[in-house]
Amino acid sequence: MQLVERLATVRFQSAGASGKSWPVPLAWRNIVADKQRLLRSIAGIAFAVLLMMVELGFREGFIASMLVSIGQLDGDIMLVSATRYQFGREAPFSRRQLAQAHAVAGVASVRPLYAQRKASVWKNPQTLELVGVQIFGFDPDQPVFLIPEVTAKLDELRQPGTIMVDRRARSNFGDAGSGTQTELSRHAVRVIGTFRLGPDFFTDGNVIMSDRTFFTLFGNGSANAGDLPSPDVGVVKVLPGHRPSDVQRALRAALPTNVAVPTKAELMDQETRFALQVSPVGPIFNIGTLVGFAVGMLISYQILFSDLSDQLSQYATLKAMGYRNGYLIKVVLQQAVFYALLGYVPAWILCYFIFRVVGDLVLIPAGMSVGLSVISIALSLGMCIGSALIAVRRVIAADPAELF
Amino acid sequence: MSAGSAASEAPAVVQVERVNHHYGQGEARNQVLFGNSIEIGPGQLVIMTGPSGSGKTTLLSLIGGLRSVQEGSIRILDRNLTGLARQELVAVRRNLGFIFQAHNLFDSLSAYENIKMAMQLGDRPASAMREQGMAMLQRLGIGHRADYKPRSLSGGQRQRVAVARALVNRPKLVLADEPTASLDKESSNTVVNLLKELTVAEGCTVIMVTHDSRILDVADRIVNMVDGNIVSDVVLRDALFICEFLKTVELFNRLTPAEIANVAERMRRRRYAPGEFVIRQGEIGEEFFLVRSGTAAVTAEAPGEPERQIAVLGTGQVIGEMALFSGEPRNATVRAVEELETFYLSKKDFQEALQFSAGFKDQIRRSYFNRLEHPLHA
Repeated sequence: MQLVERLATVRFQSAGASGKSWPVPLAWRNIVADKQRLLRSIAGIAFAVLLMMVELGFREGFIASMLVSIGQLDGDIMLVSATRYQFGREAPFSRRQLAQAHAVAGVASVRPLYAQRKASVWKNPQTLELVGVQIFGFDPDQPVFLIPEVTAKLDELRQPGTIMVDRRARSNFGDAGSGTQTELSRHAVRVIGTFRLGPDFFTDGNVIMSDRTFFTLFGNGSANAGDLPSPDVGVVKVLPGHRPSDVQRALRAALPTNVAVPTKAELMDQETRFALQVSPVGPIFNIGTLVGFAVGMLISYQILFSDLSDQLSQYATLKAMGYRNGYLIKVVLQQAVFYALLGYVPAWILCYFIFRVVGDLVLIPAGMSVGLSVISIALSLGMCIGSALIAVRRVIAADPAELF
Repeated sequence: MSAGSAASEAPAVVQVERVNHHYGQGEARNQVLFGNSIEIGPGQLVIMTGPSGSGKTTLLSLIGGLRSVQEGSIRILDRNLTGLARQELVAVRRNLGFIFQAHNLFDSLSAYENIKMAMQLGDRPASAMREQGMAMLQRLGIGHRADYKPRSLSGGQRQRVAVARALVNRPKLVLADEPTASLDKESSNTVVNLLKELTVAEGCTVIMVTHDSRILDVADRIVNMVDGNIVSDVVLRDALFICEFLKTVELFNRLTPAEIANVAERMRRRRYAPGEFVIRQGEIGEEFFLVRSGTAAVTAEAPGEPERQIAVLGTGQVIGEMALFSGEPRNATVRAVEELETFYLSKKDFQEALQFSAGFKDQIRRSYFNRLEHPLHA
């Protein structure tokens, strides 16, 4: 018989034949089969991924902006009021406690930092517009900042009414270089230099001054000689050879409970927690991310579901031929992963540029960090795989008996 | 040797016994198959016909392991499907070839890749796939389209790819549902001839549901279903044999060819070992026999006389028709001398068949009286 001969030939040939043969990449083929549909799908998923990335990026920038000033403090442990709930807000504790802290073994220095953001109103030197700013005051004899520009101008800061301003302040802060004269909380001030910190979500820029100038501006009339006001932060430096955790424990024992003694890292953690949980801003980003995730799941479900529905009889045929549900699930999950990755790449690139433009505009330090890239790819995968697991039920339910 | 005789010698590829099937539950429960039995041997091309809703596709899907057997038993390729879990049925299905009415090819895959999806389930080495897959496509005349997507193929070419996918793993059993419904005459011939060739050359069994009369002449057997019952099961070569010889029997020679065919359709095969009784003198007659092969001895005994042999019967001779219409006991004993193969007809079918004939009563009476002294046709 002709067929038998052919088969025999084929079998003999195959015995000696060699060469590689990969399994049919069904998931990939399904994805790229229709280019227009592929583009639409990628666009939809990229949109959702971008939503999440932007939310997450701003969330990250928001936290970073809150931590910028703490990061510039030259200390290991910070004394803060136990009732205080946000760095930079005025929440003084008794000055006497600074002295108590100083007496604790292992403490090299305790320096006061004064903060004000409520009563501080800056007049834009160009537009005369009033702008809320963050004020930090410190004793030039006991500097607390690691900012080199500030360290270089300690002497000039000693003159009353002199200030240094943030060059990364928002644009409504105005252009204030050295020599600029304007008003801060209705007092005449003169700018003697600038530094770079950047605004946060609550204020448009930072102003640094000596404690004396600070008392003059915000002293509430109590700034009499010898009657120094209460500090908002005590910046503690630990003597070399002492473990900060030991010193922290000793400080906690020595000080009354109205003073908290976090390390710099703990204070940053606390600040981050506050930003994300207590302040209204953090949850907004979380909700935004969640919305992006939900939208993404809907979009990717829609894409996968219609992919599957269009080929239901093909999948049922695979089942009739002897493919197991596991294989079909694998194919659908692979498709989901491909969609997630294909959507992620353009979203990442787009987000990168958005952050550059928006970051420059609002001066929030948002950018495509490694952490953000990793989290958003995990979310993209989770979103697509999650929707795939829902959509795959359709394939599992496909009954090969219906094909006859 | 005919395909029909192979059925009773080689182990059956498909054995269906007393299969019932219901759809739905409770009040909506609806029985679609009623106690069907059928046995199909290797190398047969069986065509299943019947009106829609007759249960033929349900039976086909049960044989194919696409549904779980509810009542009765089904064995295919030496595996009992009864009571198998879904997962086990999947494994059984890998040994079958399925051809559906729609081609069900993945648009995203080339013709060759669609076939490869099937080859991946087979046991051939990956290195042999390309050649063997291409050989199959070439056999179906679409080798030059191997790398085309189904979208760029004609309807006939697509269905041929689907056939290639079903056959590429050399299944011993192929189940097809209207495989030629969407094909032109030429594609249809290619597909059917390939299926026929598989049965002849490889002993592959093909069960095909079809209404396509163009195919009937390649069938070895035609199974007709109505309302969930197999109402006729004709092994075509046997039917031809039966008609040929019934025509020569006086009792039947007034029947029209259609009436004879009707009788032939109802006859079933039965074998007797040497020495085994076919009928015994004095029994009530229940069946009528036509000898297909082998020989049988007819003996009779009268009271007080020794048993005497009256005749030896061979191929084409009939046994036992008289007792069926006279209602009298058998007047002789028939026993197989050598391996005896017969076709038999039940009394009921026998009587129904003969009522078709107008002058049948006269004829029978005449025959009856003529043969009294010559009881060959006991």
